[in-house]
Amino acid sequence: MTSLRATTRPTGSGPGRLLVAIYGILALAATARGIYQVAIKLSEAPLAYLLSLLAGLVYCVATYALATNRRSIAWPAVLVELVGVLTVGTLSVVDVGDFPDETVWSGFGAGYGYIPLVLPFLGIWWLWSTAVRARTRRQTAAPRP
Amino acid sequence: MIVPVALLVGVLCLALAGWATWFVVVDRAVILRQLWGGAVIEAALVIQAVVAGVVLLVGDHDVDAALFWGYVITQLIVLPIAAAWAFAERTRWSSVVLLVAALTVGFLEFRLLQIWETL
Repeated sequence: MTSLRATTRPTGSGPGRLLVAIYGILALAATARGIYQVAIKLSEAPLAYLLSLLAGLVYCVATYALATNRRSIAWPAVLVELVGVLTVGTLSVVDVGDFPDETVWSGFGAGYGYIPLVLPFLGIWWLWSTAVRARTRRQTAAPRP
Repeated sequence: MIVPVALLVGVLCLALAGWATWFVVVDRAVILRQLWGGAVIEAALVIQAVVAGVVLLVGDHDVDAALFWGYVITQLIVLPIAAAWAFAERTRWSSVVLLVAALTVGFLEFRLLQIWETL
């Protein structure tokens, strides 16, 4: 009756590996780009480039949290990404002046194949379903005829 | 950068990706032989990076150095991480990760060529 235990499935195993891998690649890409932008040409567009670096760091946090099953860190990180990509995406479409298309979140992540837009939803779904799985398992644990 | 080496890396990455895709389909975890394939790619990348460094030091070719080396370092990190995962996750999902990693390295190679040619 181990299935009665209120454990959740680790976020970093099985299909979660793929999510962590994609998060990791995006984290690498965004952070490297952010460091490059801040180090080389910060004065050109300080707000956009600092945001770019921040986005990269948030992806790093999310990758780490998902890989090591730290849900209390993963949730806020994934939610920040969702808010970030929606806010910056909208701003970059409405007002091109302040947001040059040079952050991961610009144009809803168009420069990265819209992965930054899809990923938070996948992350939320995964965090939710790995937590729910334990609950449903508990309900269906009764022996069937 | 040497174009034939870049092409070789691209072809090897696609081959490894194809191999990994097959393993995803037949529900198998990454095997050691695939990691040796990844090691061959990694070796080609290291050689490529050394050659590029020498050319940039002594030759008259010029690139956006920060951008170029940022891509080189990123590209070198990807496969070792996928390999580490292959040991940790003994299900088909390690094959999925290897597939993503191989495609990423191939894509980065393409971007590296672009960065090398501009300026």
